[in-house]
Amino acid sequence: MQSLKEEFLEILTNYQGILHKVNLIYFRNKTDREDNFQEIMYQLWKSFPGLQNRNSIGSWIYAVSINTSISRLKKESRIEYREKLPESIDKFDLIEELSFNENFRMLLQAIYNLNEIDKSIMLLYLEEKSYDEIAEILGISKSNVGVRINRAKELLKQNLKHLNNGN
Amino acid sequence: METNDLQNTWKNIGIELNSKTTDELNQLLTSKTRKTINKFLFIIGLDIVVCVGLIIFLILTALNRQSDLIYQVNNSILGLITVISLIASLYSWNKLQNNRYNLSLKDWLEQRIKLLSKWLLGKYSKSYIVVIPILMALIILSIHVYYEYKPFVEVMKNEESIYGLIAGFTIGLFVSFFTVNKIRKYQLKNLEFLNELYGRLCNLG
Repeated sequence: MQSLKEEFLEILTNYQGILHKVNLIYFRNKTDREDNFQEIMYQLWKSFPGLQNRNSIGSWIYAVSINTSISRLKKESRIEYREKLPESIDKFDLIEELSFNENFRMLLQAIYNLNEIDKSIMLLYLEEKSYDEIAEILGISKSNVGVRINRAKELLKQNLKHLNNGN
Repeated sequence: METNDLQNTWKNIGIELNSKTTDELNQLLTSKTRKTINKFLFIIGLDIVVCVGLIIFLILTALNRQSDLIYQVNNSILGLITVISLIASLYSWNKLQNNRYNLSLKDWLEQRIKLLSKWLLGKYSKSYIVVIPILMALIILSIHVYYEYKPFVEVMKNEESIYGLIAGFTIGLFVSFFTVNKIRKYQLKNLEFLNELYGRLCNLG
């Protein structure tokens, strides 16, 4: 029989992409991403025995990853509120180390310039999660999800335009 | 790039991410768990050292000053307040550390806001303003009187001793309040951040 830890590690191996993606939108620096990856893993492991609905593992991993990342941002005072476009959007300063294509880099840079809540909404939208799943992960109503996604997309579009004009 | 290309662009990330093997994940988890336990043990250990140190000091001074009733009362109150303060601080620390991340973002924010608000703005949140000066006065009196090798009442009659006590009390009070205010300021900033996030999540306006 599989032990609890083995079962957890198997799930983690299959779903680790979520942790990487959440890390990627919240942290520009590799060391921060690695530290946060470990912290999310630990928090997932801590809450794993209490996980009742094994059918919604993805939602559980998203929720823990987003909450842990926001908590870490709070702790380290890396909070930047960006409801409006900043005067100048930094170019791909700290994501140089990642070998992504130009379009992806631009998208990532545009996401970096969103506020913390819109980042998570945009991530779940980009991951093609259903409104039901997004509502469950964020704890908001389905109708609210639609409004939030449209607003976040609009902001992202503005950021992308700004980045394109800068090129 | 148009917004309808966003999801397609994002999909490309899947093949670029550096995935870890089960063994690597196991190693990372073990190392993180060990670090967290060590941190916990360090804080508990520190607490035990402070408690035991204080109890030894109080026992030794009580044995050496059996006839000085006022000094004994001073030390007894000091011991009681310190032990209660240590238990309360450990309890608060444990509650703050016990973060339940497996909730929806809204529920998690609500839970943290409630906890921090109670701690920083609740009924007993300002009790430190009274407790610290009392504790400081008792500590300074206890140490000063003990090393003067005179009864409590005699020391209090000495003008030089009084000046020394006032100076020590003022410095101790300044350092204590400075530290507590710094911690509170940091936590208030956290609370403000969480409230702002909660507002952003719940308000559509």
